[in-house]
Amino acid sequence: MIQFKNVTKRYDKNTVALNDVNIDIDKGEFVFVVGSSGAGKSTFLKLMMREEVPSSGTIVIDGVNLNKIKKRNIPKLRRKLGVVFQDFRLIPTMTVFDNVAFAMRVIGTKEKKIRRRVPYLLSLMGLSEKSRNYPRELSGGEQQRVALARALANDAEIIIADEPTGNVDPQMSYEIVDLLMRLNEAGTTVIMVTHEHSLVRCFDKRVVILDRGSVVSDGELNTLEQATSHINPASEIASDYSKGAEDYSVYSRAPESADNMAEEVTEVVFEGGFDTPAEEGSEIVDISSGAQDGGENVD
Amino acid sequence: MTKLRYLTKEGFRSLRVNKLMTVASITVLFSCLLLVGVAFMLLVNIESFIGNIEQENVIMVYAKTDISAYDYFRMGAQISAIDYVEQAEAVEKGPAYEKILSEMDDTMRGYLESLNENPLPDAYRVTVSDMTHFNEVADKVKTLENVLRVHENSSLARQLSAVRNAVQYISLGIIALLLIVSLFIISNTIKITMFSRRLEISIMKSVGATNSFIRWPFMVEGMIIGIIAGILATGAVWGLYELVMSRFSYVFNTFGEIQLVDFITYAPYLAAIFILVGLFTGLFGSSTSIRKYLKERKFVEIDD
Repeated sequence: MIQFKNVTKRYDKNTVALNDVNIDIDKGEFVFVVGSSGAGKSTFLKLMMREEVPSSGTIVIDGVNLNKIKKRNIPKLRRKLGVVFQDFRLIPTMTVFDNVAFAMRVIGTKEKKIRRRVPYLLSLMGLSEKSRNYPRELSGGEQQRVALARALANDAEIIIADEPTGNVDPQMSYEIVDLLMRLNEAGTTVIMVTHEHSLVRCFDKRVVILDRGSVVSDGELNTLEQATSHINPASEIASDYSKGAEDYSVYSRAPESADNMAEEVTEVVFEGGFDTPAEEGSEIVDISSGAQDGGENVD
Repeated sequence: MTKLRYLTKEGFRSLRVNKLMTVASITVLFSCLLLVGVAFMLLVNIESFIGNIEQENVIMVYAKTDISAYDYFRMGAQISAIDYVEQAEAVEKGPAYEKILSEMDDTMRGYLESLNENPLPDAYRVTVSDMTHFNEVADKVKTLENVLRVHENSSLARQLSAVRNAVQYISLGIIALLLIVSLFIISNTIKITMFSRRLEISIMKSVGATNSFIRWPFMVEGMIIGIIAGILATGAVWGLYELVMSRFSYVFNTFGEIQLVDFITYAPYLAAIFILVGLFTGLFGSSTSIRKYLKERKFVEIDD
């Protein structure tokens, strides 16, 4: 689904943001991309979004070589990607409904479909009651869920989350990742960039560690410490995992409960994808029920 | 069609939502157009004033006294056939003499009447359509048959022609300068608007909106701003002009018979120019300002 082959990105002679990066991400995978500030995480995302082009190497997304993509096809590529930003990037002058609908309107979706799909997405995120509110009236967690609904609006095959938990409290952080997990269980490929090692530890998923532009580790969480123990400063990152686990220890029960919830709801909500008659006909189950409980007025 | 409706609606919505920038853009454009309008009306009036003076600057062509009525008539036709002659008005000696007599005091009139003869020759009063060719016309008239004498004031004609040209160049220069300044200010205002809306643009790009889809609402916005500013500026120039005409008419009368031109005659041209300038400024200002936000990078492999 996503391939980085020997990708190097230089902004100028002295600034190497990514250095000979090789990453393969399969369809339906959930990958954390972890690294401290300046590690090259943002460049990694910008390259995927085709906001930047590599200085050398090849990037292929869903069979499309981004080096050779024609300008007119870039919007089509971006429609496959749903992006969630750390700062939410909601339009303050639009209501929650319009913020989500905006993503559909600007690609020319018919109003009839928008009127059907947006309430559905908001209900998935537990935000049905807030559809007429403006972003300033929402908590950080709620705003991030609106951003997530917007990312899903156009049936994105890949969700790219750029530090989605950066502006929310630890409990909400966990719940946002949990939401992403559920989307992943429904078949969406999810790439989450974060510097919060401790949060990553709560979820048993593939972790790519970037350090100074290079991939220093790529694998399951349980092999991470071993893989990075001999690399400095990557070893510091690895040790952060041990320390960080304590921050989230209060939620140690959460993954288990999340799994239970997923079993309950995925069949109802995600079966057949997001854009099926199930949207209108079936009873909508709020997959963010956990998030909503903890998300009220947290900020 | 649905798309077009949405995009146009979105343009109007943006105007409403970004009230402050809308008002700022309209005000800037309006001010510039107002200045252009004032300069334009000034030019039109000076042109008209000079035109009136030119009408007064004529060539008097006196015919020989012994020519027949037919020759006099033929002479008129020959004068009219000369290039740049607007009119050759016959001034027959009879009525001309009567007019002179009526304007004289009794002593002078008595003296002239005692002569029992009209000393005036028949004449033609020739007006020239383009004052730059005044001398040329006068020279050609002098060569005609049966011409006794030609009376003309070529130095005044030359001065008027020079003044007219200077006024034209200066006014057009001022208008052009104002338009360039307007474009500069407007493009900066639009750039500020774009900067304040970069979040929207970045979201549009990230969700896969095409460049034309992103551009259109901004262009609609620019066009609406331009049209509103154009209409307001036309109205303001009109109001200002009428005010000047009614309040300061005595000033113009002091300087003689200065007749200001009627605004209505020029209103359709001014309105059309203003709306077109506003429309295109808004349109091109928006589309050029947004360009940098829509630029996509090209892949160029850099060798080590």
